[in-house]
Amino acid sequence: MGVATLVVRTDQLRTGYGTARPRGSVRPEPPSPVTKELIHAAMATTTETTAGTAAAVPGPVGTAHGRAVPAGPPAVAPEEAAALARAARLDALLGDPLDPANPHGLAELLAADTRGEPPVATEQLLTDARLGAEFVPAEFGGRLTRADLLAKVLRPVFRRDVALGFGYGITSLFGTAAVWAAGTERQRADTAGLLLRGGRASIVHHEVAHANAILRDEFTATPGRSGFTLSGRKDVIMNASRSAAWVVWARTAPERGPRSHSVLLLDPADLPAGTVTRLPRVPTPGMRGGLFSGLEFTGAPVPSSALVGRPGEGVALALRTFQVNRCLIPALAVAAADTVLHSAVRAVTPGRGGRTVRRWYKPLTGVFADLLACDSMATTALRALSLLPERSHVLAAAVKYVVPDLLREDLEALASVLGSHGYEHRSPQYGSLDKLVRDLPVAGLGHTGTAACQAVIVPQLRSLAERSWFSAEEPPPALFRAGAPLPVLDYRLLGIASGDDFLSATLAGAAERLAPHRADGGPVTDLAVLAELAETFVNELRGLRARCLRIPETREALTDPAVVTLSDRYALVLAAASVLGVWESRSQDGRDPFLADPAWAVLALTRLGRRMGIPVPELPDGVLDRMLAELSARYRDGRSCDLDGLPLAR
Amino acid sequence: MPDQPRTAPDAYAPYAPRTATDAPRTAPTRIAPPVHVPGPQGPWDEVHRGLDRFGSAVVYATWGEWLPAALAEPGLRPLLGHDWQRYRGTADAAIRYRFLTSRMIIKYTAAAALRTGPAEFDLAYKLGGRPFIRGLDQIDISLSHTDDLIAVGVCRTGRIGVDVEPADRRMSFELLRGHMCTPAEHAELARMSGERQTAELLRLWTLKEAYTKALGQGLQLGFTEFGFGLRSGGLIAPDGTPAGGGEWAFATHPVLADRYLLSTACHDTGLDPARDTAVHTMLDPAFMAAVEDALTTG
Repeated sequence: MGVATLVVRTDQLRTGYGTARPRGSVRPEPPSPVTKELIHAAMATTTETTAGTAAAVPGPVGTAHGRAVPAGPPAVAPEEAAALARAARLDALLGDPLDPANPHGLAELLAADTRGEPPVATEQLLTDARLGAEFVPAEFGGRLTRADLLAKVLRPVFRRDVALGFGYGITSLFGTAAVWAAGTERQRADTAGLLLRGGRASIVHHEVAHANAILRDEFTATPGRSGFTLSGRKDVIMNASRSAAWVVWARTAPERGPRSHSVLLLDPADLPAGTVTRLPRVPTPGMRGGLFSGLEFTGAPVPSSALVGRPGEGVALALRTFQVNRCLIPALAVAAADTVLHSAVRAVTPGRGGRTVRRWYKPLTGVFADLLACDSMATTALRALSLLPERSHVLAAAVKYVVPDLLREDLEALASVLGSHGYEHRSPQYGSLDKLVRDLPVAGLGHTGTAACQAVIVPQLRSLAERSWFSAEEPPPALFRAGAPLPVLDYRLLGIASGDDFLSATLAGAAERLAPHRADGGPVTDLAVLAELAETFVNELRGLRARCLRIPETREALTDPAVVTLSDRYALVLAAASVLGVWESRSQDGRDPFLADPAWAVLALTRLGRRMGIPVPELPDGVLDRMLAELSARYRDGRSCDLDGLPLAR
Repeated sequence: MPDQPRTAPDAYAPYAPRTATDAPRTAPTRIAPPVHVPGPQGPWDEVHRGLDRFGSAVVYATWGEWLPAALAEPGLRPLLGHDWQRYRGTADAAIRYRFLTSRMIIKYTAAAALRTGPAEFDLAYKLGGRPFIRGLDQIDISLSHTDDLIAVGVCRTGRIGVDVEPADRRMSFELLRGHMCTPAEHAELARMSGERQTAELLRLWTLKEAYTKALGQGLQLGFTEFGFGLRSGGLIAPDGTPAGGGEWAFATHPVLADRYLLSTACHDTGLDPARDTAVHTMLDPAFMAAVEDALTTG
């Protein structure tokens, strides 16, 4: 903490006032941090800066990983190739996002958002493209085979507009997931038919702890002889006014416990007149075009055939099905943040082939590394839902806990890079920042969303420490291997709290395999630094294990702030483990020289470590340069800044 | 400048307080007047009231007020947590004590919001240096200090940034205008008389500091990249167009017998979060019970 009265050097302060730059111009180099420090000095301000700086130290450039072997064309499972083809087609249909004349471009999407309306023409385009079929499992006539492939198909939509993705939308899947997991044949067939015809379903949440507007209030279903009587009011439900199915988590028992709620599948057309009131639309600052509105039931009769699963199974069904949502939302938010990263690079790079203004290297490469880390974590979890469906619960919660928060930080960093461009809210080139800053909290549900994830992680910490950490087996290599075939996602197989953590084994295994590369006084290569970082996270997990073993076996102990805090550290360790798992796999297949290079993993882990406040090695020379070279190339070539590096419509 | 009017109605007055119940859902966050909290004993009910009604609260004190309690604190090491090493490693006594008291004030303020003890949670720092409470994202916090004064903001609706400056700090318009003013701000300030201009320039500086701190960007975001309407107090783009949809609220208050100026920037994500920010109630009991059931039977 520096407190200093600095000597004022007025000769270094420029005079004259700032001038507005023409829209679309590239941001110039100044004002530099030094200039602002001088302004502080001129005011004799005592400034507190808590950020550490990760200055690069001189040293030899890292060598390629010894196990990297060049490979031929990537072998991609047929269902993945088909999904990628659908994604490419959708991207092409949506067209160049920057073209102001494109009816599905960012200019029109931002304009609709400003008007507080869904983008009607683009929604129709998605209907015509039969996007609803993506939310229906293949066995019921749709195209949903794997959650990771669903994310790939939806990314072109989310890259342009998160609110469109939700509103069109993915919330239909969130609602119908309970039907895929536990519905009757009839319920599944009816629901599949609805979505395949382009209809929608609304998820009607029950109230959870520390609820915000979306998760506040709930309905009560009183059991009777022939079904239930539904009552209550809830104000903020996505698409309540236009959905042909409401999937309601209704309270069916008065106590607050694991069997307090049941899921009901309602067709609005079946409810007798006068028992349901559609409440007015509720404007929201985020997802302004989203159609949120309320419902009020007054003694609505609901037949027992509406029950999804068993009576009292609601909370368990929420835990089982939410894990898919908890992996999907982060994976899709990465695509949305990618658009903002591209716009930030655009703001500080003259022309496609120009050189990015040097001052912004660090925030841009940092965000790029974070996007790759977030994508590693989300993709690993999405693949785990297919490969290890009974054991992915804690990982899914961790992904949802980590990624939205990281992306929020990244958007703030990009706001600095964009500077005044960030206030050009209607500009297709630069308007995505402001929109995503508003939409992302709605997608992630803020504190309510993170607390719901922590409620899943915290009770498992002690048993994970006892049973799994440092004893679990590593997951099958297919978990990380790009293009490897995976089993079909089956909602019926998703489990709750297995007490197993396969990713901790990946972390320990990767650290062990990297150990021979540790410098130990020798040259500090990139691999040596990666090895040291891996060991650092293993030590963190070791410390976590010691602390979690001491958690008393009482409910009260779980709400102890010190115990809740451990869930944050653990979730970040899982993020680091995902990065190592993905990097190892990519370095082995050697298809993509950039992903096979340790640079991105080194930077991603360094940032994760610094977020945890644990000492990390200095960044080796050349890491930022190689990150910037790749980022510049992807910007120039119009490719996504995620693990896939896919060409984007332009 | 103690003889200067500091509460010109169109320039300094914060938004008029409103009760939360009569505020429409999408109303911008209002900012409660800062609360003088001269020691660990409080008054913390003012902080609770601010969080409940306005979504945020700002606390200020001098480090001298808190120093006796800080030095008498028996559990200083657990209270400082990861900051202990930094505290112990700071050679200059004045710097060390100010660091200590600033951390005390942050932790006691956050503890009031979280309804727990100040040593029960971790104060940590984001990559840009922004302080936060690890694992407990129901509140966002911000710290500022200058000379004797320390201010801490706490917010449950979104990001918060606070900045304090001595009210008699003389800033040179000629010297600083190129570094901190948009053309619109420059034009507005240039029309003002000397004293008014100086006062407005200082207020503008604290608002810009508060906003960039709320974004967690500190020195990264240039002050000429965004502006404020000096009359409206709202965020505007450099070209003079409005830059926010009402998600941001700003206020400037004179504090400690008008010796300091305290500006606050507060964001509202619009999620209408729970008023309850207690840590012991944040984990959903039904979810936890279902997980415990699964662990027992699995």
